Amino acid sequence: MSTPARRRLMRDFKRLQEDPPCGVSAAPTDNNIMLWNAVIFGPEDTPFEDGTFKLTLEFTEEYPNKPPTVRFVSKMFHPNIYADGKICLDILQNRWSPTYDVSAILTSIQSLLDEPNPNSPANSVAAQLYQENKREYEKKVQAIVEQSWAEVPEEDHVL
Amino acid sequence: MAEANSKPGESLDKALPSGVEYDEAIMAQQDRIQQEIAETSQLIGDHEDLLLLSKEYSEEDNVYQGKIKDLRSKYKCFRRTRGDGNCFYRAFGFSYLERLLDDRKDLERFKEVAAKSKDMLVSLGFPAFTVEDFHDTFMEVVEKVEQQIPVEDLLATFRDQGLSDYLVVYLRLLTSGYLQQNEDFFVNFIESYASVKEFCGHEVEPMARESDHIHIIALTSSLDVGVRVEYMDRAGSEEVNHHDFPEGTEPKVFLLYRPGHYDILYK
Repeated sequence: MSTPARRRLMRDFKRLQEDPPCGVSAAPTDNNIMLWNAVIFGPEDTPFEDGTFKLTLEFTEEYPNKPPTVRFVSKMFHPNIYADGKICLDILQNRWSPTYDVSAILTSIQSLLDEPNPNSPANSVAAQLYQENKREYEKKVQAIVEQSWAEVPEEDHVL
Repeated sequence: MAEANSKPGESLDKALPSGVEYDEAIMAQQDRIQQEIAETSQLIGDHEDLLLLSKEYSEEDNVYQGKIKDLRSKYKCFRRTRGDGNCFYRAFGFSYLERLLDDRKDLERFKEVAAKSKDMLVSLGFPAFTVEDFHDTFMEVVEKVEQQIPVEDLLATFRDQGLSDYLVVYLRLLTSGYLQQNEDFFVNFIESYASVKEFCGHEVEPMARESDHIHIIALTSSLDVGVRVEYMDRAGSEEVNHHDFPEGTEPKVFLLYRPGHYDILYK
C-alpha cells in the first residue's frame, strides 16, 4: 500500500542511489521499507577514521512529519551516544523538521562523530575523557573503530 | 543533546544540546496527549451551530456567554479543528481552499503565487529535494480545487492525516520562508532566539509548534490572503474583538481564537 510515508521513503532511497552522499550508505531491509540498515564511515582525520559503523533507522507512517528512531548497532564510544546505541541529537528529537531526509539524517550523525557536545553527555565517561584526556579518549575510540571491522554482518543489505 | 552540522540541507544549521532522556519523556507524554486528542476530534470537523459553544462554558460565565451571543450575531456556524498544535495552519489551509472553490479569479492568483513559492524556498537554502515533495503535494490539492471538486472531497483530503500533514508542512515552510525573507523586520519581535532562522528552526518548521501573531502575519502576507481572527478570551467586554491579518486587508478566512486554539468560522 502506498502511503505518504512509504512514497517518501522510496523517494529518499532513490535519491541516495542517484546522488549518494559522501561516507554514508543506507537501504531499506529486504521486505520492509519502514526498516533501514545504514553504514556511516568514520570521517577522515578524526579518531573515528576507518570505522564502519552500522545503524538501523526505524520509520513510522508519520514519517516525514515525525523523525525515525535511529540507533547504532555497532558498539560506540562517543559523548552523545548511549550504551544501547541511541543517539542524542536534537534534530532527531525536538528539532526535527520534515524537510530532512535519510541522507540529511546520516550526514548529520556523521558530523556529530567528530563534533560531540560534552555538555549534554549520553555517555559520561566518554564526555569526561573527551574534555580531560583526549589521548585516552582517542584510544577508546580506536578500540571501537577496530571492533567495527570485526563485526560480521549477518546479511549485508547495505554495501 | 548534540549539535547537528549542515551538509546537504543548509537549514540543518545549528542544533542545540539538551538531555535526551528528558526530551524523550516529554515527547512520549506529548504523543500520549496527541493520541487522546486524535481519538476524540477530527482534523477538521463538520459544520456546527455556534450555540453548541455556549454549552462549553458555565451559564453564569457572563463574559463568555456574552461573547458567544455576539459571535452568533456575526457568524452562521463553525467547524472545529483538532487541537494538535497545527490548528492554525490546518484551519487556514482548509478554509481558504474551500473558499477558492467558489472564487475562480482569486484561485488563479493564488495558484501562481503557490507555484512560485518553491523557488523562493529553495533560494533561501531549504533542501530542494524534500521541499519539492511537499510543494508537489500542495499543488496537486490546489489543482483539485481548480477542478472544483465537491467540498466533501476537500474535507476528505484534510481529514487524511498523511496528506493533511503534508499541506501543513508546506504552509509552515512558507511561513518560515517569509519570516526569513523579511528578517530585518521580524528580528525585532523574536525573543529568546539569536536569529530569525533559529526561531524558524524551533518554532515554525517542526510540526505541532503552535502559532502566534508573528506566524499568522508571515503566512497571510506571504500568500496575500486576509484572515480575520475573532478573539474569545477573558479580556474586555461581552463582545468579541477581532483583528485582521495582514492589517487593513479584506478578510477571506474567518477564524475563532480561544486561548491556544483556532477553529473556522462561517458568515
